[in-house]
Amino acid sequence: MIHFVKPCRVALVLLSGIGFQMMAQAPPGQTPPAPARHVGGGLGSEYKAYDAATLERGKKTYTANCAFCHGGNAKGGESGPDLLRSLTVLHDENGEMIGKVVLNGRPDKGMPKFGFGPEQIADISAFLHDGVRAAAERGTYKILDIMVGDAKAGQAYFNGAGGCTSCHSVTGDLAHAGSKYEPVDLQQKIVMPREGRGRRTASDKAMAVTVTVTLPSGEVVNGILNRMDDFAISLVDQNGDYRSFSRDGDVPKVELHDPMNAHTALLKRYTDADIHNLTAYLETLK
Amino acid sequence: MKIAPAALAVCMTAWPALLTAQALDPALLLKQPTNAWPTYNGDYSGRRFSTLDQINQANIKNLNLAWIYHAVPGETPGAKVGGEGEPTKPGESAGNPFGVSIKATPLMVNGVLYLTTPDNTWAVDARTGAELWHYFWRTRGGIHIGNRGVGMYGNWLYFETPDNYVVSLDAKTGKERWHKEIADVKQEYFSTSSPIVVGNHVIVGTGGDSLDVPGFLESLDPETGDMQWKWWSEPLKKGDPGSESWPDENSMRHGGGMTWIPGTYDPELKLYYVGTGNPNPVMAGQSRHGDDLYTCSIVALDIDTGKLKWYFQTSPHDTHDWDAAQTPVLLDGVIDGKPRKLLAQANRNGYFFLLDRETGKNLVSYPFLETMNWSKGVDATGRPIPNIAKEPQVSGVLVSPPSGGATNWPPPSFDPETGLFYVGTSASYSVFYLTDTDPHPEGYGAAERASGGLGNTLRAIDYKTGKTVWRHDLPGGGTAGLLTTAGHLLFAGDGSQHLVAFDPSNGKILWHAGLGSNVANGPETYMLDGKQYLVVGAGDNLYAFTLAQ
Repeated sequence: MIHFVKPCRVALVLLSGIGFQMMAQAPPGQTPPAPARHVGGGLGSEYKAYDAATLERGKKTYTANCAFCHGGNAKGGESGPDLLRSLTVLHDENGEMIGKVVLNGRPDKGMPKFGFGPEQIADISAFLHDGVRAAAERGTYKILDIMVGDAKAGQAYFNGAGGCTSCHSVTGDLAHAGSKYEPVDLQQKIVMPREGRGRRTASDKAMAVTVTVTLPSGEVVNGILNRMDDFAISLVDQNGDYRSFSRDGDVPKVELHDPMNAHTALLKRYTDADIHNLTAYLETLK
Repeated sequence: MKIAPAALAVCMTAWPALLTAQALDPALLLKQPTNAWPTYNGDYSGRRFSTLDQINQANIKNLNLAWIYHAVPGETPGAKVGGEGEPTKPGESAGNPFGVSIKATPLMVNGVLYLTTPDNTWAVDARTGAELWHYFWRTRGGIHIGNRGVGMYGNWLYFETPDNYVVSLDAKTGKERWHKEIADVKQEYFSTSSPIVVGNHVIVGTGGDSLDVPGFLESLDPETGDMQWKWWSEPLKKGDPGSESWPDENSMRHGGGMTWIPGTYDPELKLYYVGTGNPNPVMAGQSRHGDDLYTCSIVALDIDTGKLKWYFQTSPHDTHDWDAAQTPVLLDGVIDGKPRKLLAQANRNGYFFLLDRETGKNLVSYPFLETMNWSKGVDATGRPIPNIAKEPQVSGVLVSPPSGGATNWPPPSFDPETGLFYVGTSASYSVFYLTDTDPHPEGYGAAERASGGLGNTLRAIDYKTGKTVWRHDLPGGGTAGLLTTAGHLLFAGDGSQHLVAFDPSNGKILWHAGLGSNVANGPETYMLDGKQYLVVGAGDNLYAFTLAQ
């Protein structure tokens, strides 16, 4: 099937300067047009998804026959070029171009012929196309082992310079943090617990920005911030009612209370070692 | 191709015969026209400053909506259809997953606006917002994230497609004249730029970051689309100038340096200025040790030959995706008591640069972004010195700005009356994780996790120092493109779905209008029938404002 790749959000933001959500799914039950890797409709980069068995067979055949020259990861070796950057591979759809080279060899460049059957060619092609996909699809990159920190130093930072104990407790809200989260997720939560690039509105109420609006009449309205710009502010008050007010300079008076302020302030103070050490320390809280 | 002066003279004298009521008089491109917006930035300078002052601080309160044009992309009934891709199937949307957003700055020539979104070009009556024609391109693929607009030469329009064709249309009818493929979509090239027409050169660039391909700029013949010259962003072989900044030929041939955005041009120096993209692999630098010239650079090219006159590298050996694809703004100023031809850029990496645009000599490098943490200062030539400890690492490094940058492609503005350079900025952080530790990484080679920050700001920068003179912190999102006018007005989106007019001297808000979507392009202005129009794109609508009678 054709798999509509979900580009990494960050990638899109950097190009557009404006964040947005993305679609990701292929319409269910739809058979793809036979040869197209890039299909019409303007959906961007689309790569085929292959089943694991095909890829495993392809890898085996590749490793046994091709890796000696083209490298174990197909990125090129002693005598063969990088196949993931090969125009033949990039322009191939279902093995028809790759197959020609494999069956005929490239005698001028010292590549022998391989007497593979159509299934083996299809498998090798799948393996190579998936290698291209893995390089191009940044949203699927796997973060490696990030645990390099010193837990003791992290503990000292937590209790000292980081000022973490003013809000957090390792026996309270952070108890068992190391069992709940993978290190990379934990590290991300340490740096910025609130998702969505630290946006002010949050689905988790504990992380939401609260606001106090003091009207010229003296009325004070408290609530969770919904949205604010230079011309209006809106909130949801304690009764769950939505309220909005026009803004004109300092009227009405608006006070924001962002529970993430301490985390934001740390962004400027952290060394990378501080972050790694904190991660190592909180990972010990099993 | 070099054009002999005699040939140029013939070409110029032949113009009147070619010109029709709808055609673009090429002389307009050498002026700062008020009755047209004939090229991406309004003129070649990239200043996006208009001398119009009918709309001004005294009457801005009376600025009212004149019309809305709603753009409907795709294979619509009545659309002229071209392209090499499959027809749109019944029920299939030919829109795109990013949503339709008018990021293009429309051209306005002889009362007609020409605008684009990926795969689509429209002609719209600039007085009424009525659609005149729509052209749709059946795509073969490519990332459909945005399109900056059309270029125009006489009666002909040019635009680029996500699958890397330059398409030329007849401006009168929207009928296709020809199309020409400039890059291979299968190598993940995709094109977003607006062609810039200079004399008989149609300058086109391309983009693409996923599969490590080299960037280039091309000049095409406006009549035939034939290539006149091609400038590669990297040396092609060992021994070529710049090749000493790469370890080997393989790395430079896969080295990136995309030409994402339209450049600027000095007609006296005959130099075209463009900021090049980041090197590739994007965030894993281990296979491309060295400065990686001419990526992340401001380059000056001879308009007739495409030969490099000078370069200034803004991010040596970049590993954070900080392309230099922000408008290089041409301004004339006085430095140390002497009038100078200058070039200013607020760069994605957080630095403001001022260069002498005749020589490329650096005059100012100043970190305008207070959170910027990747650089150890600048060297004797004004070039930032990267802190290698802030290159992506397996365990994660916290960097500001993130890959999206301190600023990005949306066009800034320079107001010669205030002497201030206006730009929208973002003070954010990301953690960068190296994910590809292979000696020969491919693609991006790293992952990034957004980590919050201090928000978005509209700032006014003193071009002589790079220092921020005033700033307006935006409570919501960030700005898009900017416009200043002789009416002492600065127009900007506020990232909260408003178009706002600021006092360019101090940032005071003078007027605003809610548009229902964020401003997505650079606002523009022109005079028609004695009336000044202000036109801006937000979402899939184009809005025109005039003073209430």
